[in-house]
Amino acid sequence: MIRTEEMLLNVGPQHPSTHGVFRIILKIDGETVIEATPVIGYLHRGTEKLAENLQYTQIIPYTDRMDYLSAMTNNYVICHAVETMMGLEIPERAEYLRVIAMELGRIASHLVWYGTYLLDLGAMSPFLYAFREREAIINLLNELCGARLTFNYMRVGGVKWDAPEGWIEKVRDFVPYMREQLKGYHDLVTGNEIFLNRVKGIGYYTKEEAIDYSLSGANLRCTGVNWDLRKDEPYSIYDRFDFDVPVFHTGDAWARYQCRMAEIEESLKIVEQAVEQFPAEGAIMAKVPRIIKPPKGEAFVRIESPRGEIGCYIASEGKKEPYRLKFRRPSFYNLQILPKLLVGENLANLIAILGGIDIVLGEVDG
Amino acid sequence: MLGLTKGLKYTLKNLTKQNVTTKYPDAPLELPDRFRGIQKFYPEKCIVCNQCAAICPTECIQLTGKKHPDPAKKGKIIDTYDINFEICILCDLCTEVCPTEAIVMTNNFELAEYSRDELFKDMRWLDENDANIRKENKV
Ligand code: SF4
Ligand code: SF4
Repeated sequence: MIRTEEMLLNVGPQHPSTHGVFRIILKIDGETVIEATPVIGYLHRGTEKLAENLQYTQIIPYTDRMDYLSAMTNNYVICHAVETMMGLEIPERAEYLRVIAMELGRIASHLVWYGTYLLDLGAMSPFLYAFREREAIINLLNELCGARLTFNYMRVGGVKWDAPEGWIEKVRDFVPYMREQLKGYHDLVTGNEIFLNRVKGIGYYTKEEAIDYSLSGANLRCTGVNWDLRKDEPYSIYDRFDFDVPVFHTGDAWARYQCRMAEIEESLKIVEQAVEQFPAEGAIMAKVPRIIKPPKGEAFVRIESPRGEIGCYIASEGKKEPYRLKFRRPSFYNLQILPKLLVGENLANLIAILGGIDIVLGEVDG
Repeated sequence: MLGLTKGLKYTLKNLTKQNVTTKYPDAPLELPDRFRGIQKFYPEKCIVCNQCAAICPTECIQLTGKKHPDPAKKGKIIDTYDINFEICILCDLCTEVCPTEAIVMTNNFELAEYSRDELFKDMRWLDENDANIRKENKV
């Protein structure tokens, strides 16, 4: 066999397929990757440190900027942590609004993933279709809370706004529309032979490896582990909905694709039921003191974000600012397996593997 | 081959559909009433309570008050009120806490300027920004 000279190749931080500012230093032998070293931190803003000087309500807009593709779940995790510490009871209407918003956010996030993943693999049009539908969701959320991405919608004890007039009906109409479009996506991509050749068997890892690396979300469920916090540790009102957790067994990029596409369907189911059960009236805010001061102590909560388990740890001294705040950011953990997956791979598969993990750099860097 | 043909069929079906893009900036962009845009400030309503500046997570509001010119009246009136839009994240918290609705959100979002200094908006500018105010804040 002919051995070519080893070469160092820098991918990123300004590379369109790294989705943000992610850099990876590759040692390549011809077209084969021998070693991969990710370099992260270009987008580090020190959210956790900043939070130590902020009141709890002020931290919420900062969480929008971590995983900016699904800010609703981030909003929820911090509110949920504070509410757990204070033992607050959340009004039902607020819980429904939260769930609808979070699930719409999950669909929007998966749509971005679908579009950009295919774009990375060289298919242009799925991106345009995905963003058309995502725009419909963003418009709905914009009507609800006045922003397209950085929602700042949830508050400790409830939500900021009630649903505007006619909004619930619009969400109800959106569900069948999205189902119809989803069929179109499958027609367009799922059976496409070129796509299948690109993703089948790529970026494979086993169940044990996934657990060892603390992977979560679709990255874990693609290996056959049935673990979804919405089912296994139900928070909010998720125990009231009938939905399945899509699990696939092949552990490759193809399984991750199927898993995310199936999750969109499940989220639609939840939204549909939530709209159906939506209480006709009721408060959207619990009785919360003006200045929020959780009692001395600590709390850790975790929920299922589109990218996996997002956790929030708060240590409180009983003051209006946290003593220490820590987020378990799923993208950061999911990314750790990348160097292992890349070794021995063809360079062209780098993008197919990285894209399949679905990272958001705002969340990786925190 | 079947998969490819299916995909092509979907593309062809979409070819005849109407555009979903808008003509912005040639046509105005309609935004929902709640949209969080640049603030409007009412100097006469402000009671200089400082709550907006205290809640602002990025500390971009700076304000000063002065004594009421009418000696018979107690309290302060606003003297200067600046928002630095270089760092304002339009989070809506200032308008949420203001007890007199002296600061409210509008639907205006066009903030592009040629220099950073121009993003520093003073009281007069914020007072004059009075189009597209949210329905609930309309007097
Ligand atoms: S919108 Fe938020 S960041 Fe901007 S001035 Fe108000 S509180 Fe500060
Ligand atoms: S919160 Fe309202 S009244 Fe108080 S200082 Fe700010 S703008 Fe003036």
